[in-house]
Amino acid sequence: MEHSTLPLQLDNYLNTLKQQFNESPDLVQKVFHIKGQEVVIHFISYQIKKDRLERELLESLTKSDKPWSVHDLQNKIPLASSQTVSSMDQIAEHIIHGNVVVYLPGEKEAVAFLLPQQQTRALDRAETESLVFGPQLAFTESLVTNLNVIRWRLDTDDLVVEKLIVGDRIKSEVRVVYLKSLANEENVDTMRQRISDLKVSEVEDTSVLGQLIEDSSSSIFPQLINTELPDRFCNSISKGRIGVLVDKSPTALIGPMTLFSFFESTEDLYMRWNMGTFIRLLRFIAMALSIILTPMYVAALTYHYEIIPTSLLVSLGQSRAMVPFPPVLEALLLEMLIELLREAGARLPTKVGQTMGIVGGIVLGQAAVKAGFTSNILIIIIALSALASFTAPSYLMGTAIRIIRFPMIILAGAWGLIGITFALSFILIHLLKQKSLGRPYLAPIYPFQWKDINDSLIRLPFQKNDTRPLNVMPEDTSRYDQLKAAEKKDVDPS
Amino acid sequence: MNTNLIIKPDKAVEAFYLFFIVHTLQIGAGLMGVPRIIFTESEADSWIAILLAGIYLHFVAWIMILILRKYDNADIIGIQCDVFGRWLGAVLGMVYVLYLFSILLSVIKNYIEVVQVFIFPEIPLWLMSSFLLSLMIYAVLGGFRVVVGTSFIFFLLTIWMVFTLAQPISYMDWDHFTPVFHTGFLDLMKGAYKTAYSVLGLEILFFVYPYIKNKQKISLPVHAGLALTTFLILLVTVVSIGYFSPEQLKETVWATLSLFKIISYPVVERFDFIAIALWMMVIIPNIVLFCWALIQSLNRLFQLPEKPSLYGVALLLFLASILIEYRVHIDKLTDWTSTLGFWLVFIYPVILYPLVLIRKRFRKENSI
Repeated sequence: MEHSTLPLQLDNYLNTLKQQFNESPDLVQKVFHIKGQEVVIHFISYQIKKDRLERELLESLTKSDKPWSVHDLQNKIPLASSQTVSSMDQIAEHIIHGNVVVYLPGEKEAVAFLLPQQQTRALDRAETESLVFGPQLAFTESLVTNLNVIRWRLDTDDLVVEKLIVGDRIKSEVRVVYLKSLANEENVDTMRQRISDLKVSEVEDTSVLGQLIEDSSSSIFPQLINTELPDRFCNSISKGRIGVLVDKSPTALIGPMTLFSFFESTEDLYMRWNMGTFIRLLRFIAMALSIILTPMYVAALTYHYEIIPTSLLVSLGQSRAMVPFPPVLEALLLEMLIELLREAGARLPTKVGQTMGIVGGIVLGQAAVKAGFTSNILIIIIALSALASFTAPSYLMGTAIRIIRFPMIILAGAWGLIGITFALSFILIHLLKQKSLGRPYLAPIYPFQWKDINDSLIRLPFQKNDTRPLNVMPEDTSRYDQLKAAEKKDVDPS
Repeated sequence: MNTNLIIKPDKAVEAFYLFFIVHTLQIGAGLMGVPRIIFTESEADSWIAILLAGIYLHFVAWIMILILRKYDNADIIGIQCDVFGRWLGAVLGMVYVLYLFSILLSVIKNYIEVVQVFIFPEIPLWLMSSFLLSLMIYAVLGGFRVVVGTSFIFFLLTIWMVFTLAQPISYMDWDHFTPVFHTGFLDLMKGAYKTAYSVLGLEILFFVYPYIKNKQKISLPVHAGLALTTFLILLVTVVSIGYFSPEQLKETVWATLSLFKIISYPVVERFDFIAIALWMMVIIPNIVLFCWALIQSLNRLFQLPEKPSLYGVALLLFLASILIEYRVHIDKLTDWTSTLGFWLVFIYPVILYPLVLIRKRFRKENSI
């Protein structure tokens, strides 16, 4: 564009700007005549707060007793965020972001005042990662609100918030959040490097950014955690991990992570350690059951009926006597049914969803058994493993586990226990090869780190659990130095 | 060729993992059938034979560590070239390559046969061998850290099977061990010699030594690994001798696996099916580590790039495993491998050590 730089005369300026906005009807251009001087103001009507515009900007602008200069505009108008801009592109960008741009025709610079109005929802309870116990707050779509919450939870000047811009066509603001004295510098560099090296036209959401910067995007296992819980986010940051926020996204990204951290919930910390440990172990058992149970059923019934105890074999035989399909087909059918119910439940409107779930689950299940479609025992097994897969606190991990089951059922149907062992071995080797921000994914099991087991596989009392996760390589590893000393100063020293 | 290797610190592992590397490599296809093999030679005194073999095992490990300590960061390929010169060293390196290949093949063949006999008579040979080989390729492609991780994780996932032996132990007949010290010395030595195939794997120390971070601390994990191996072989053999009658044991090819047959729990009637399927997880660290050593040796000897040689080796193994079909041939292969392994692993280091010493002294005098 030939007229893209200031200074411009009034008509020329107005036309250029109109063209820049594709003749948009929402662009307000208003010319004031103050003390014989022309002052142009423009903004997009729904992007700014009108009452503040009138009260704080227009009032002082029109009440001036001498002609305005750029310098005066910046200093005499009682608005904190003002900025000078000098090209038409910059002016357009500022207007889009909720600025009111004031231009004095003929000057080299215009002044932009930030008066943004964003339509955001209020802070709400967490929906996908709901907690029974502990803080209930969830992130919202507004980056400013999220940062506000994080600053409030981590009120220390140690907190670093770096700003990066991603996207060539539609720009998204990305913030990298970490504690300066804790976060490992290599981790921060890796994260920053991967984000700033991205050459994409737009980033839709945090999870998309996560997939773009992950170590291995072909793996089924997520390597960075997506969370909507500020308490989980801040907890991870305070252990030396690095968080990423993307504007317009209600989730945040945390890394580096290990496989086991996907089964941790902050709730484990809020509960007493023995309950926390129990629940955490329960989740691991649930994961193992969820992966193994159905394939075992298929393998046992197709090839190795010898491993089924005699008493069970009788009732199993009775319930399967009517079923016309081989066990693989039977299991796949039912697994598909469960997945259908889950997906339909997620898509249906909330009011219908629950009813449909109950009707679909109970009616279909009952009818399927009555019609001789499946055996009772398989229904129990499938329901159990579906239930177990939902215990993973991370939705992505739960989904990954459910999907792994399908190839395993097929392998079990084709080659029995050998197929299952092959699949399990493959998954294990695959997990061994994974990394998260270059840190081993299977830590603290491999590389074995005794001190990290305290708060990953199990959760010990806080006195025992006095180091930050070592696989993250925090700059300062010790957490509770004073806890033992404090015990000695109790009132009753007996 | 450089005698010493230069290893990047992020590729090296702690000495602690040597315990798992050495142990998982020793326990594999051999353990499945070791009781009968020792029993046919040493009868009721088999346990003495195993203990003798175990003591010798520790002695060899001690010698191996002494040899390795004479160098900064060398593996066996480099040491041989240093001691015997370039050509003879390369020839001896080829012997190692040959040995590694044949042990890989025999481990794969033995396991496939067990699967075919115990659970899946109809499973095709090519399928089983492509299962094992694809896992091997996948793990070895991940580099040394993944190779070590495989042995570590799979050890943790399979070691619990030892505790299931509690059931056969409760059925043991202690009379099978009497009379004690009845077997002649020669038969005891034969029994100890026959243990060789089951405890091969110690030689991995010669290959992984450059990749260990804290080299001063390698003795403890290595010896602990050997001790556990000896203990497991001892346990399995003693339980088999006590559980089976002598005539029966001589007929039972895979006594260890047959022991699993009577193990049953409220949820699992026949444990042996699960044990044999899980045995794949015992086999995988074996083939992965041997294959890694093989690729490593080829790279050191001929500067072969790792990926193509890995695929080449896998293809050769695949073809060989399909071509060898009959039990007789597998037995012959196993016998041949265990003889070669016996000389290479248990005798050769004892000869090599004085040669290394002479070479080092010779060097010193030369340099002064």
